[in-house]
Amino acid sequence: MTRDEAQQRFVALLQERFGVEEIPDDNYPLIDAKHHFELARVLREEFGYRIYSFVVASHYLEKVDAKNDNAVIDIEHYEVATGIRCVGAPAHLASWRVRVELDQSIPTLFPLFAGADWQEREQYDLVGVRFDEHPDLRRLMMPEDWEGHPLRKDYAIETACPPWR
Amino acid sequence: MAVDESQRTYEHPLYQHVERMPGVSVALGSIDQLLTWGSANSLWIFPMATSCCGIEFMAAAASGVDLDRMGSIPRGTPRQCDVMVVAGTITVKMAPRVKKLWEQMPEPKWCVAMGSCAISGDFYRDIYSVIPGIDTFVPVDVYVPGCPPNPEALMHGLLLLQEKIRMVREGTLTREEVRPESPPNLNRPAIGRLQDPERDPLTDEEQTDSAAGLGFGDNLNLAQIRRPRPEPELRPQVDAEPRPQVDAEPRPQVDAELRPQVDAEPQPEVDADEESAP
Amino acid sequence: MHSVTGVDPHLDIETYDPSADLMVLNLGPQHPSTHGVFRVKLYLDGEIIIKAVPYAGYLHRGVEKLCEELTFVQIIPIVDKNDYVSPMMNEQAIAMACEAMLGIEVPPRALYLRTIFAELQRLASHLLWLGTFGMDLGGALGGGATLFMYCFRERETILGLFEEVTGCRFHYNTHAVGGNRHDITPKFSCDTKTTLEVIEKRLEEYVQIFSSNRIYRARTQGIGVLDGDLANSLGITGPLARASGVDHDLRRDAPYHIYGELDVKVFTESAGDCFARTLVRLNEMYESIRIVREIIDSVPEGPILGMKPGKSPGHIKIDASQGYSCIESPRGELGTYIIGGGKSRGASAYRLKIRSPSLHAASCIPYLFPGHTVSDAVAILGTLDPIMGEVDR
Repeated sequence: MTRDEAQQRFVALLQERFGVEEIPDDNYPLIDAKHHFELARVLREEFGYRIYSFVVASHYLEKVDAKNDNAVIDIEHYEVATGIRCVGAPAHLASWRVRVELDQSIPTLFPLFAGADWQEREQYDLVGVRFDEHPDLRRLMMPEDWEGHPLRKDYAIETACPPWR
Repeated sequence: MAVDESQRTYEHPLYQHVERMPGVSVALGSIDQLLTWGSANSLWIFPMATSCCGIEFMAAAASGVDLDRMGSIPRGTPRQCDVMVVAGTITVKMAPRVKKLWEQMPEPKWCVAMGSCAISGDFYRDIYSVIPGIDTFVPVDVYVPGCPPNPEALMHGLLLLQEKIRMVREGTLTREEVRPESPPNLNRPAIGRLQDPERDPLTDEEQTDSAAGLGFGDNLNLAQIRRPRPEPELRPQVDAEPRPQVDAEPRPQVDAELRPQVDAEPQPEVDADEESAP
Repeated sequence: MHSVTGVDPHLDIETYDPSADLMVLNLGPQHPSTHGVFRVKLYLDGEIIIKAVPYAGYLHRGVEKLCEELTFVQIIPIVDKNDYVSPMMNEQAIAMACEAMLGIEVPPRALYLRTIFAELQRLASHLLWLGTFGMDLGGALGGGATLFMYCFRERETILGLFEEVTGCRFHYNTHAVGGNRHDITPKFSCDTKTTLEVIEKRLEEYVQIFSSNRIYRARTQGIGVLDGDLANSLGITGPLARASGVDHDLRRDAPYHIYGELDVKVFTESAGDCFARTLVRLNEMYESIRIVREIIDSVPEGPILGMKPGKSPGHIKIDASQGYSCIESPRGELGTYIIGGGKSRGASAYRLKIRSPSLHAASCIPYLFPGHTVSDAVAILGTLDPIMGEVDR
């Protein structure tokens, strides 16, 4: 199987079983948060995507339209992209995005992939998105009593840190 | 949190005992020389190797440069060592450990800051989690610049340290040691980063251009690729604010609030579209 | 639930040991065998580890935040410092991610140079691992620092080659978006072949040391067995996974550079213990030597930095698209996830995530340490070869 075929199979899976209408060319497909765990489970158990590759959380601030009386285009939210990969050729990467509202959380993939333990801890530490039923959701990089999540957009890079933390 | 310099002694502890022994005062001169020689030529190193410079430190200790030949043996525990070589970035999470390990070393002890991260924080200086130079909490004797310094540079730094030890023991170190006291707020540097409000943003762009254009192949001409600059009158007006006067008096400790804010400056939007290229 | 040996990484130590008889031992953050600043809290019953709790972040330098502030051209020398044992790989990962998102073609000569640099860097990185691992095991390899001295001698010759091309021993900043900055000279090919010949001859000695030393075998065989399924599930790739029987190598399975034209041999071992990891790395060193020899004479002539006319590399702009690309670094899959459309209309990334193989490798410590003694823990940590700059970033 070539990589293109694997990609087509992945797209077909998303469209048929998870109700994704459009797959953007320059971006990964955006799926509903309630399908997040199920998609990972199907890919792992039925299609052999067994390597846990990455999870990337990003923070988006509130977006307003300056020309149109500051009308709110998009509220503050997170986006979590997950990638898992199949073993051996063609090493296809199945990746998708999930939109998470500020007060919501997203199910952890730890029951499927043990690597989600540390990766999700790191994203929680740096961005602040919470993962449901994570066995050990502590900070990974920053000291435990650190205030704030450094990779959020409202966190200045020069934020002063009290001494000896 | 300030480093108490008065507690710091360069005297070898053995020296005190020898001095008190009866009958040896005649020999003191040569014993003094002996101790100086021994002190300067058996610098055991405690490698506080955190990142990239640690690899260069290992290279210096390995067969190519071989620190052993000047009596410097890297040891794994601070309690056997004379010199702490801080090689790498120190973060706020690591700094208390560094301080603790420094305090565990027996006197007399010296510290070498190896690499620009240990000296000033380098380009990580402004980042939330990085200490801007270890001299904010540990007295540093020798700074070895570089990113990372070559093993030879570290060797040179240690030779300088030996020279300093000799001069201090012989009392020939005429220059007064200027060691800034630790700022009360450890996370900020004693001196703020230099901000030039008169610098044209176009200069930055030009430098970026020329830096990125290095190593072009023969078929590409850099001059053709560089975009024509906007007309002089179209250049964005930079605030004609006078530069802050530099006082002749010593600088006060700059606090976090007093540091010039980078974001506060208006960043003029520069038209950088590709359509204007020929 | 993931471990075949029944190790629970989240073991509740208070329920396990209500009378608090276990000894707590702190390994690190400043410990000669942790290869940097890494801390593992060990709960010991006698000398047997019951639970291991790793703590990372002692070298967290906020690289990802810094990459959001700087432009794509400026971040290449910054990411050099992540995996400081193989800086070439970091540069290639970032440059390839930008090229993939912008659709920039890299000239063939630059692709050849990148492949040569990558393989030489893999060789240098594995040599450094071999040397420090020999030092970790202390007397097992014929005296503490012996192998360390030998391996650094070889590594210096490779660094000399890089210095000749780029002017730096490491942190080269030689890759740019769209190609390379520094071209090789005709002398480089000759020097490389001489160096590789010497290294190959000496590698045989090291292989003999490894295969015939009884103490060494006793300390590594059957120690720290990593199951292949667990490795996949943890996201472990590279030599670690291949030593556990996972036949997966991005150079062969998802070729980049010119690996598609080469026949890259992938070595796997089934045992998954420390000895298997050593063997896989030694085999990879031979394979790197073979690859460089195969292509060093067939580097095509031409430019090394290609750009679309009228597009200066100083003004790389990526719109709000997202993309991920990865390479096979000496430690596994080193990837870069870029969300474009950051500051100054896309000249910097909105979010840049570096998928570091070392972080995944370090995350198997809670699974591997329990049931071993403290001295075994040092051997296991040595074969995992995590680079702290990459774990913490």
